[in-house]
Amino acid sequence: MRIPFARISPKNPKSRLAAAAVATVLSLTPLAACGGSSGSSGDSKTLNMWTFKQSHVAGLRNAAAAFKKQTGITVNIQAYGPDDAYSTKVQAAAKTNDLPDVLEVHSDGDDLVWGATGIAKDISADVDSAWNGLYQKAVQTSGTVTAEKYKESLPTDSKSHGVQQGQRFSVPFTAGTFGIVMGNKTMLAAAGITKPPTTWEEFLTDLKATTAKDPKNGGLSLGLKVKATGLTWVLQPLAFAELGKEKYQALFGQDAAADFSSADGQKVLSLYDEMQPYWMPGTQSLDIDGADQAFAQGKAAWDIGGTFTLSYLQQNDMNPDNVMAFGLPAPQNAAVPKPALGPIALTSLTVTSTSSHPDNAEKWMKFLSQPSVAATFAKDATEVPATELGADTAAVMGPTLADMTKTFEGGTAETTYDPSDNSFRAATYDQDSMGVVLADLTPLKQKSVASTAADLAKLNKSFWATSK
Amino acid sequence: MTTAPRPALTEAAAAGRGKDPRPAGTGRLGRAPRPRRRGYESLSGYLFVAPAVVLFLVMGLYTVGYGFLLSFATWNGFSPSWTWVGLQNYKDLLWANPMYAPQVQKAAIHTFYVMVAVPLLTVLVSFPLAILLNSAKRFQGVLRSIYFVPYVTSGIAVFFAWTYILQPDGAVNSLLSTLGLGSLSQPQGWLGNPHTALPTMIVVTVWGAVPVSMLLYLTGLQTVDRNLLEAAQLDGAGWWRTNASVVWPLLRPITAIVVLLNLRDSLQGFQTFLVMTNGGPGDHTNVLGLEAYTLAFLKDLAPTLGLASALGWLLFAAALVIALINLRMLRSRT
Repeated sequence: MRIPFARISPKNPKSRLAAAAVATVLSLTPLAACGGSSGSSGDSKTLNMWTFKQSHVAGLRNAAAAFKKQTGITVNIQAYGPDDAYSTKVQAAAKTNDLPDVLEVHSDGDDLVWGATGIAKDISADVDSAWNGLYQKAVQTSGTVTAEKYKESLPTDSKSHGVQQGQRFSVPFTAGTFGIVMGNKTMLAAAGITKPPTTWEEFLTDLKATTAKDPKNGGLSLGLKVKATGLTWVLQPLAFAELGKEKYQALFGQDAAADFSSADGQKVLSLYDEMQPYWMPGTQSLDIDGADQAFAQGKAAWDIGGTFTLSYLQQNDMNPDNVMAFGLPAPQNAAVPKPALGPIALTSLTVTSTSSHPDNAEKWMKFLSQPSVAATFAKDATEVPATELGADTAAVMGPTLADMTKTFEGGTAETTYDPSDNSFRAATYDQDSMGVVLADLTPLKQKSVASTAADLAKLNKSFWATSK
Repeated sequence: MTTAPRPALTEAAAAGRGKDPRPAGTGRLGRAPRPRRRGYESLSGYLFVAPAVVLFLVMGLYTVGYGFLLSFATWNGFSPSWTWVGLQNYKDLLWANPMYAPQVQKAAIHTFYVMVAVPLLTVLVSFPLAILLNSAKRFQGVLRSIYFVPYVTSGIAVFFAWTYILQPDGAVNSLLSTLGLGSLSQPQGWLGNPHTALPTMIVVTVWGAVPVSMLLYLTGLQTVDRNLLEAAQLDGAGWWRTNASVVWPLLRPITAIVVLLNLRDSLQGFQTFLVMTNGGPGDHTNVLGLEAYTLAFLKDLAPTLGLASALGWLLFAAALVIALINLRMLRSRT
């Protein structure tokens, strides 16, 4: 039996060959496409920028319009979220040589890690003192491989292994902090609360009042589906205030007499466990945006987030003036009764190493750091800019955001909680794993304080044991 | 026709049996193709096969081999070189590393529950459903389409919709309250309670698996010999007995396929878990597939790609064993 295709053109085998060749080329096209072209703009008058913050897009586009007027360079802004999806997208784009020119990144985290992998370009030679001087003093070294960061990078299993001291992979863009409590003023007033609590105990009393007033919607919302939020936004600042800097850091150290299994560790876990009756129903299944959205929709009277939360609340039709904001208060008789929350760089801007026009990319980053541009962006996005705005700060940011920034004030090195300081933890420390253990204490009620303390200490020990 | 024995073939005739009786060079079939034309045909044949071969070599063999080698190294996906660690990744996952082994063990237990429950429930739901649909006198096509809806609509959006339905103020709790069964509702949501989260995920997985299984059973039911069913009825077997003692054993190969497909999905699938719970609350719905994905892509570029690859190969080994057991059982029963 003859195969059918042989009859198609029996007198012209060359046409068969041509057909086969075309089939081969067409079949291999997808493979060729895998090579991809660079996502970086090809021409000198266009830049591409990615961000993971949807709430930044409008402000960035407004800034991009002003930048085009000034320089003739068009900046295309694209948002990809949530954070995990953004991180995966950047990694995939780096593999396929499809990165944009500029990335917005988590400060002093992604930037250094991506610098170590070659995704982010070292811009230390280009960020001079005049440019760096535009930023708030507290965030001026953000994105730089300081001596401390270099030391953290030395173990081979460190995520930033390979960076060199003095390199710089980003400049700060927004600043702020975590551990800011927000209350719905209307719901709080209905429960008789008109001013922020000054102690942890007062805060719990207020929580009790709102949940008594409205058992269904009077609770506290926190995006615990993101595993580390309970740990980093509540337990850590609470432990810092209760124990003081040294003992707080010792919780994550190698000394069994001072880690989570110690009396100090159990004490702070007991304090954290006191929140159990006041969680909003289902808060453990919500991600950060979902929890903020629930608060904006009146499904919770309280929300814990950061200075960056207000923009999302506003985006979800909540009036910022209806938000009472304050830093997580310290327990009575705490070692640090009035802790300050250290302003840190929250997001930064980095130039990708594959950018065709790194000079233009840096020009755009420098433009965003100008006080007038930063002030406009701050208004558009309801964010605290990393740029120093001087006396205009309160006027630019509005009263609620200005209230949040008050948590930055009055601290010393010993009384200011700095969430970006990881120098006292093991190189392989994984906050998500710690967060999973903590969730079993509250809100899941699967473990006692003692067994949670033991499990946290055991896990912490394993980080030290595996740090090379 | 004759019953007389045929004469034995002569040697020459026997040797020539089956050969073209026509002399060479006469007739189209007997003509040998010219060498040049034969060469063209071979070349075009190879060229037509080439794309598939190249795709398999690049997408299949290369990536499989690459992944296998990676399971013996540590790498973050970007650093210029791999660090060879031999079997350490496998040891770390199974027992040696206190950072990973307990998580993997817990995920393995969850995966085991899913592997047992999903195939079992899928068979328990889809077989009776197929019997009922097959015996429906009217609207058979419409009913089949309705029951097939979960398959054609399955996707990210549907699983997001499920998360809303299962929330504390979602449709499931509302329905229970409306029916006066408020005591059964979950105040923390069906995915928020560590005791109901995994069973709920199993139910959602079964919901997505039933349509295809039902279709396979329906296909099998078309092949059942009606004479057998009539014979059973003549022997006094009722509806239940006929289906339990005649139809069910006849469809055992279909059941084996349904079980195998769902075992494989339960072992390796994780998308539903990623979208709906991300392993939570806490890690009460973490499964091995999700753990491998997390190790590969959600560790902030920590050098854990080798661990993810090793976990992938462990899953492959488990799937292979299950497939062999299933094949063995299938052979012994059929």
